[in-house]
Parts: sequence; structure tokens; C-alpha cells
Amino acid sequence: MANEQQDTVTITLNGVEATVPKNLRIIEAAEQLGVGIAHYCYHPGLSAPAMCRMCLVEVEGAPKLAPACVTPVADGQVIHTESDRARTAREGTLEFYLLNHPLDCPICDKSGECKLQDYTHAEGRKHGRSIEPKRVLGQDDFGGDILYDGDRCIMCTRCVRFMREVAQDDRLCVVQRGHRSVIDTFFDHGVDGNLWAGNIVDICPVGALLSKDFLHKARVWDLDNNSSICPNCSQGCNIRIDTRDNLVMRLRPRANADVNSYWMCDYGRHRYEWINVTDRATAPQRRLPDGGLAAVTWQEAMLALVERVRSAREAGAGVTVIGSPFHGNEDNGMLARLASVLGGGDLLFKADQADDEIPCPGFPRLARRRDLAANVRGLEILGFTRGGGAAGTGGIVVALGDDLADDVAHAAAGAELFIAVTARSTAAARTADFVLPATTFAEAEGTFTNFEGRVQRFWPAVQPPPLARPAWQILGVLLSGLEEGGAAPATAADAFLRLGEWHDEFSGLSYDIIGSRGAVINETVQLPAGAGGSV
Amino acid sequence: MAEQVTPIRGNPGFAGETGEFAQLTEADVRGSGYVGTRDTAGGHPGSACSHPYQVVPRNPDAMLFEGPYRERLDKIVSRYPTPQGALLPALGLAQEIRGHLSADSMAQVADALGLSPTYVRGVATFYTMYNKQPVGDYLVQVCTNVSCNLCGGDDVMAAFLEAVDAEAGEITPDGLFTVIEAECLGACGFPTAVQVNERYFENVAPGDVPAILERLRAEHAVAGETVTPQANPYAGGGDTPPAAGRPAAADEPATGGQG
Amino acid sequence: MAYPYRHESEVRVMSEHFGDPEARTLDGWRRRGGYEALRTALGMAPGDVVNIVKDSGLRGRGGAGFPTGVKWSFMPRDDSRQPHYLLINADESEPGAFKDRELCRWTPHQVIEGALIGAHAIRAKHVYIYMRGEFFEPAQIVARAIEEAYATGMAGTDIMGSGVDIDVTLHLGAGAYICGEETALMNSLEGRRGQPRIKPPFPAVMGAFGRPTTINNVETVASVPHIIRNGAEWYRSFGTERSPGTKLFNMSGHLVRRGNFELPLGFNLKELIYDVCGGIRDGRQLKAVIPGGSSVPILAADEIDIAMDYESVAQAGSMLGTASVIVMDDRTNMVKQVRRMVEFYAHESCGQCTPCREGTAWLARILRRIEGGFGRMEDLDHLLDLGANMTGTTICVLSDSAAAPVASSIAKFKDEYLALIRRDDAAAVAV
Repeated sequence: MANEQQDTVTITLNGVEATVPKNLRIIEAAEQLGVGIAHYCYHPGLSAPAMCRMCLVEVEGAPKLAPACVTPVADGQVIHTESDRARTAREGTLEFYLLNHPLDCPICDKSGECKLQDYTHAEGRKHGRSIEPKRVLGQDDFGGDILYDGDRCIMCTRCVRFMREVAQDDRLCVVQRGHRSVIDTFFDHGVDGNLWAGNIVDICPVGALLSKDFLHKARVWDLDNNSSICPNCSQGCNIRIDTRDNLVMRLRPRANADVNSYWMCDYGRHRYEWINVTDRATAPQRRLPDGGLAAVTWQEAMLALVERVRSAREAGAGVTVIGSPFHGNEDNGMLARLASVLGGGDLLFKADQADDEIPCPGFPRLARRRDLAANVRGLEILGFTRGGGAAGTGGIVVALGDDLADDVAHAAAGAELFIAVTARSTAAARTADFVLPATTFAEAEGTFTNFEGRVQRFWPAVQPPPLARPAWQILGVLLSGLEEGGAAPATAADAFLRLGEWHDEFSGLSYDIIGSRGAVINETVQLPAGAGGSV
Repeated sequence: MAEQVTPIRGNPGFAGETGEFAQLTEADVRGSGYVGTRDTAGGHPGSACSHPYQVVPRNPDAMLFEGPYRERLDKIVSRYPTPQGALLPALGLAQEIRGHLSADSMAQVADALGLSPTYVRGVATFYTMYNKQPVGDYLVQVCTNVSCNLCGGDDVMAAFLEAVDAEAGEITPDGLFTVIEAECLGACGFPTAVQVNERYFENVAPGDVPAILERLRAEHAVAGETVTPQANPYAGGGDTPPAAGRPAAADEPATGGQG
Repeated sequence: MAYPYRHESEVRVMSEHFGDPEARTLDGWRRRGGYEALRTALGMAPGDVVNIVKDSGLRGRGGAGFPTGVKWSFMPRDDSRQPHYLLINADESEPGAFKDRELCRWTPHQVIEGALIGAHAIRAKHVYIYMRGEFFEPAQIVARAIEEAYATGMAGTDIMGSGVDIDVTLHLGAGAYICGEETALMNSLEGRRGQPRIKPPFPAVMGAFGRPTTINNVETVASVPHIIRNGAEWYRSFGTERSPGTKLFNMSGHLVRRGNFELPLGFNLKELIYDVCGGIRDGRQLKAVIPGGSSVPILAADEIDIAMDYESVAQAGSMLGTASVIVMDDRTNMVKQVRRMVEFYAHESCGQCTPCREGTAWLARILRRIEGGFGRMEDLDHLLDLGANMTGTTICVLSDSAAAPVASSIAKFKDEYLALIRRDDAAAVAV
């Protein structure tokens, strides 16, 4: 038994004794012990009103079943989540939920990730007993991307609490009371204009809140979910990329208490179409003497490329590399290394900036940052500078990505050798001497460094075209060709370890250390002035 | 054993069938003599939330919280540790001025108390006494809950609907009445209880309904011309001191008075 | 000129001046001995006031019957968490209950005096009288009484020269039965939706506006001045050992004499109905009695020979509640009346907890269907099962209250349900 001074208590959960931190609520303690307790209104990022009555558990000695979401653990507490009383209560409560809930699962976007489906499937009654007609309310447009289907609503009030507590923009309320309750906005003032409102669709446990963008777009069981990092600003929200048939269907936040809690902004959420690249660079190409571009094999392309770079270098050509804040540290790091091996030169990048940072009031560590690309900080650490002032100076120009689609044409206009490492066959890329098809961040493994210097991993979510290669690999092979004997990195993890050899900021880090939650680079390292955002 | 007591029907609302109040006037029972004239601006802040009896006309376009109403709102707000505490009384005040709570009223209340309009809507819709739609000048609420129901509440409800010739919840064409069913009004010993705006009528039988409506029409005719305290004992002008004489309604003898 | 009917069994303590308009006024109240108890109490240490009330055995009159003195003693005795609040629950809206309205409209100063004594006992600096919005007329009377109290130094700063400061504020609700539940009342007072709160924290720790708070019923505080004036022993001379004192019995339904009757707790229910209230009107027979307001289980005609105190009624399978006795004669359609009660709970459910929000409406629909002749035999078991699932599974007990009359009526008046389900014309009943 733990004593008063200790920070832990000993509880018995379903017959198993365990020691857990005190100040936890039963639902949290159970979660830590691997016991899931059904719930709707409880959400770890919100206050707990204990009103859905799904998480009732039996605590020995208590006269009534206790809501696990608000009941604190106590020393010597004996908890049963699977006793007859607890199971009967859940079954009974589930039946109440189904009284008015339309069984329109076949046309409901939530179907497949719906907690009402899941719990009913697991523990509901075998047969429905209600013969009363169901309540019919219809749909309500909440403005912005949000539709409300009142018939499906189970009144957990997560959305109301999210807008009140996290977005701190009181746009939703429960209107009326009792069985006439519905969620509503202030008459025709919807949620549009609020940057965080999209989260209420994610946290809705049923299909009551719908995204217009995702409406009837895919069945969720057809979606593949992959962990990634939102590429659309330098916050680096942890996300999942949901894809079907190799196309991105939606982005959703993935919990990370150090970065984005359970949330992401609508700016990032709704900018995913660009990941579904249509004008792909599908095969390596090199420019022929007659001016045309010809598809060649990778081997042919790389051998020719090494030759051209070497001879241009010998002819004394300068070098300009253009990094991409939509590419990982590995890609940009190889690019920086290339510049260094070629004797140094300009390291440039471009990233759009918004006028203002827009913080999330209820979780101020999270903001839509001014830099509207994921890896601006990473580029700065690797020595890239913002802007194109030195562009157009001729020599060797290596451009990564398509961020300088227009400027590349300008920068490379006088280039002796223009190498485009890109996923897209843009007009600019088509002026290059070498077009080398690269993967996007969504197609490969890698890391971004967010505004505060947190290095976070992303994983492949979609399949690249057969001949596209990660930029770190393309550039690694080029480097190994130039520095005879040096082996190209075989994996993204290897490429990342190379960064540590070249840049102190990354030394000591590895994919294992970064894990799924990220790692902040050594804070004693001097960073370029103004590189970060405010925390 | 069962002794029959003849109900006293001459004065619906004030004659308990055990004989209580039989000797009392309506003013004695309602306490209007004691209450006297109430100030629109509110008397003491501790009692400022109770509103003067609302006769007609209400003005749906009236400015909220100006003049004596602003004074009263300020008094109300001063009694709570947070402005939000004053929300229910403030909504009541808005309804007193305009007759119902429109979106604009809710937004103005929200603004006055530093709350979000959405929050105010959520609170306002929780409570049944806030009219979210316009109602007739007289909102007639008939209790049909168990104690009244046992004694014919449904019949009284039907009698009112028949007498005003309207559906429940409808405003009569002359704008005078809206009849709705009410939950328990807390006057179970005097069935059927009927609330008309802020006034209770008790021991109402279906046969009493025409007389009650007639009385309300007569009052309306007086009040409709000029809104004066004479129309009703509780309504006060902002400039009338509470204790300075109690203008009595025509059918109310002036007894009691402030002690 | 007071409540002219007075039954010989009555012990009029709080209701002595009902029907006497003069007793409303401050002067009139003082002439009747009013505010002397307040003077006495203000001269005592708060803890001593608590002890007298504890000794008197006074139990909360709002329905739960929790000992008032004990409740007061839960309030923190150190003043570090000031201000404390005393809330007077005048949100009387339990079907069958109509006592607090009488207390407020006939004896407003009795309520204010009791509230001030209570506030002193718990070191509260502010009393809010939360009155249901429908009680406009009683509210006007209490409002005027508050003004009189302030004008004469009975409220506000340095009350009666004692150095004690207590403010009194009248607060009107706006139509929600659930606000009579003490935590919902606090939310409503704070300008929120009137939804009950989860306990703990208990009000004495964190109540209205986050401060230590006690909530007392109007009738509870109306009893207090008499206890202070006459002593705990005197109070204990009425009622039973565990349910001492007098109580207003709210008599409604098919009675010859309806109204409030003040009697010692433990008074026999049968005698109350047949003697005090003159029996069933129109010479009918008794069918059923709800002894404590619509939230409590129904008693059949043969179950009423019981003492009306907290323990005895509980022993009989029901609850004393607010002692609001609803009497039903042999013409009563039990299914209809139960349906009407359940519809009330469906209307008044705050909508937080799913078993209550959905369950109350579901019960009402099934009952309406049975009443309309479209019932099925399996509906009865279904009603009982739904009721069981609604009991003990929610934040407050509104849900339990809705289920109680359904279960007790099916247990005791099953024939009426069966007759309707079988569409047995012979069973067609009036009312």
C-alpha cells in the first residue's frame, strides 16, 4: 500500500493489482494499464462533464456506479469494468443512444470509425426493442466546412466544449433541453472564420458533425492511415494522412502533447490536394544536344550527371543550391553537402509567409505559424538563407522541389548546368539539363524540423511513381560519384545520421531517439537570428 | 365522513376550497397592497431582479437597457460576483421590455454582460419562461400536471382554447392571447392553476374561463390607451417613489399598504 | 382573518399567520414576535446557532431530509475562503408541492429572518433567495420585504447593531424544474444552463461561484427562527425521535379540503386524508396516494395507514419527500396520470445524461401508446427494464424520479395497464 507521501496509489482493476500515479482519473489509469473504458463525452483534451454515462464502472464500496472519467483513483480502490452491473449499465445506456439515432450507417461518413457502432457491436443488445418512430431533425449547415446532422447527435457536447475551451471562440451551444436538445450556433452565425473548427468533426464520436470536404467521399475502411507531419506550416502538427487508391483524402491530427495536443488548424487540414501530384516527373530525363529532353535510365542519368558536374566544376563554375521547405532534413542536408563538396556557394530557399501567427487560444504552444511550410527551420539550420537575391548568377544550379517553379527559370536562366530534383514536371523543371524525379514528403521517410527546432519523423503514406526516388538518395548517389569511394546512404535513417556528421545540431540524434514524438535539437546551438517563431 | 364544502366561485383565483382567503380581497391575497408601486429602475439592488408587472404594450423594437432599465441592470449586476450571474435577471429584463427574446435581444444581453451571444442563446433556450417567439399580450399557461389534471386541468385547457378559438401556442388574431399548457405551477392545492403573464388564477374551472378572459380584455382596453400604473398595481414609473401612494386597480380596494 | 379553516390536529408554527395580510409587513411581523430570534442568534457565536439547530433535529424540508445543523457544520469554520453563500431554495416545482409559495407570500419576513440566522450560522455574507420565475407575486412580496429589511437595518451592514453584515438578494429563475436540484440551482444562479453538477466537489467545499455554499429549502429556514426562539427541546416535542418538528403537508387531488396543513411529523396518513382533509370528495373511494410529490413511489389505498415521517414512509416503500400528498380517487386513470407525470420529467430533464434524456421521453411515448390502446404485453416488462436502466445511472435523481411512478404503478395497478393493452372496454375509466 502506498502511503500519503508517495506519488502513486495501488488499485485493483478487474482483479489485477497495479500501482499508478495518483491524481489520475480511473479512465486514465485504466488506459495506462491497457484497459479501455467506453466513453463518448470524455476526451483527454477537454473538460469532463461525465454526462454520456458510458464509462460507469463498479467501485467496490460505492453505492452507485462511478463515472470513470471524473472519479480519481484512490489507494486500495477495487474497480470492476466488466462486472455484471457495469456491463448491464453500458448495455442499457447504449440502448438509449439508439432510440433516436438513425441507423443510416450506409450513408454516414463516420461509419467504420463510429464509437456508437463500435460499442453497440461489442456490447449492445442483440435486438432493438423500440417500435416508436424516431425523431427527425435533418441537417444544419454550421458554416465553414461543417455540417451538423442533428438526428445522429448523441449530445456528448465535445464540440461545444472544444469551441469554448480550446478554440475559445464560443460559436456552439446546446439549444433547448432534455430530449429536445440540439447543438446549434448563434442563429445564422456559423463557425466559419474560426481556424480550429475542423477539429470538431474529428472529435465527434458519431457522424453528427461532418466535413463538407470529406462528405460521401470515401468509406473509412477503404482508407489507409499513415503517420506524418503536416507540411503546411512550421508548427509541424503531427497528423495522419488518410489515403484511398493512392490519393490523399483527408488529413487528421495525431496526438502529440508537445506540439499540437489533439488538434490541427483548418489551414493545414484543407491543404492536401497538392500532395496528390498530377503533373509528375515520371522518369529521369536529360537534355539532348538538339535541345530536346529524353527519358533515360537512372544509371545513364547519374553517370552523365556526375560527368557534367565534374567538368563544370573543373571549368570553375560556381554553385547555387535551392532547397525546399517541403522536403525533409535528409534531402536538404544532402543538397547542402553537395554545395559544400563543390566548394561552397549560395544556399537559398523560398517559403511563403503569412502576415500573422494565429495561436490556438486553449493550447498556445500550437499556432498556425507565419512560415507556411514545414521545414523552414531545418533549412536555416542547414545553412540555407531565405530569398533569391543571389540567383541567376550562372554556374551550376541544383534546385530541389518545385517551390521555385517560377524563380528557377530565372535563377537557372544563365546556368551552365541546371539540375532539377523534383516531383513535378513544372515548366521550370522542363528547362533543366537534368530532370530527376523525386518523391514527395508523403511518399518517403524523413524528418522535418519545426519552428522551435523539434525534429519529427514522417513516414510514407502514398506510393511514388515507379521511377521516383527520394532526393537524399539521388543526391547521395551524385555525392558518392563526385567523392570517389564514398558510399551513398542506403536508408533515410542513414541519411539522417550523415547530417549529424556535418551539422552539430543533428549530432546525437537518430530515428530511434526521435521516435514518434520528436526531439528538440540541442538548444545551445546558435541559431540564425529570427529563425524561429515565438513559442 | 366526507363533508361537502361548496366552492366559492365568485372570485376565481382566491377562494381556496377549504375556505382560506374567503374574507380577503384580491389585493390581500396577491399582496399588491403591501407591494405597492414598484419602480422601473428597481428599488433596492437586492430586490431589483423582480420586475414590475408587465401589461401592454410591449415594444419589440424598444432599446434595451436605457434610462431606468440601465439603472436596474446595473443594480442587478452589482449583486453578483461575476456579471454572468446576472444573466437570468438580465434576460428577464429584456423580455419585460420587448415581450420576447429575439436574436438581437440575446446579443444585446450578451454584450451588456460581456458574454458570447452563443452562450446566451444556450442559456436562454434552457428555460421555458423566456419566450423565444412573440406571444400574445396575455400568455395564458394552464397547469395540466398531476394535481391539477386530477381535478380537470385538461378541461380547463380545452375551455381556454375554445374560448379564444386558437390552437395551443398560437397568437389570437387580435394579438391578445396565447394559450399554452404548463407544467406544475406550484399551486397544487388550488386546482386548476392558471398563470396569465405574471399573475396566478387558482381554482379555475372550465366555467370560469369566459369571466377571466373578459376581465383581461377589460384591463387591456385600459392599459392599451395609456400605459399607466393605474392599469395595474405593480407597474411603476421611474419617478414614482415606491411608498408614495398605491394607485389601485378599479376592482381592488386599497387595503394593507406598506407596513 | 387567517386561513379560517383550522383543524384541531394542526400545530401551526410556520403557518400561524397564513392568510393574515398584516403579518406580511415588517411592523406586523415584529408585532408577532418577528426578528427577535434573529437578534438572539446574532448575539451568539455561529457555532452555537449550528448546535441548537443540530440539537433540534431539524431535517431539510426540500425532500431529502438531511439534518440541517449537520449540513451547516460542513461549512468551513475558518474564514479564509470567504465569501460563503447561503442559497434559499424557493424553486418549488415538484408536482404536488405548494408550501414554499405560501410561506413566501404570507410570511416573507419569516423566510428572510430564517435565512439571516442561517447565514450567520455558516458565516455567509450573502444570501440569495432563488425563487422560481413563475412565482412573480410571491417574489414581489419578498422583494418588498427585502427592501423593508434593508431600510430598517435588518439586512445589509451591521444588522441590528450586531456588527454582522449579511446581504440578501432575490434571484428569479426562469422556468426549469431541475433548478430545484441544489447543484443545478447553483449553476442557474451563476447564469448557466440549469444542469446538475457532479459531486464531489460538494457545495460546502465548492459551491456557488466556486465558494463554500449551503442550500436550504424555504420551509427549512422558516422553521429556524422558531427553534432559536423556543429552543431545541421545544421543537423536539413535536414529531418523532428521528423526524422531529412540524411540517407543512401539501394536500392536493381528490380531497374535500385541499391546502396546506401544518402537523407534527409522524402524523398518520390515513387520518390526514380522512380527518384533516375531510376524506375523498364526491363520496368516492380512495384508489392511490402519492405521499411525497410526484417523484416518489405510489401507495395503494390499503397502504396508507402509516406515519408521515421520513423513516415510516420509506419503510412503506415510498418517500416523504416534500410531504406533498396527491390523492387519487377510484375514477382515476392511473396510466394517464403516470404518463402525465413522466411527460413532465421528459419536459424537465436537463438533457445531460443519456439515460434520462432519452429514457424519460421513451417511457412517455410507450405510456402514451398504451393509453391510446396500442400497447403490447411486452411493453410492461420493457417499461420496468428501461426504468431500471434509468435508476442510479445519472448525475442527479430526476431520472430515478421518472422511473419510480412507472414501476410502482405497474406493481400496484397492473390491471389497469392490462385492460388498456387488451382494449378491454369495461375498464374504460374517466379522468
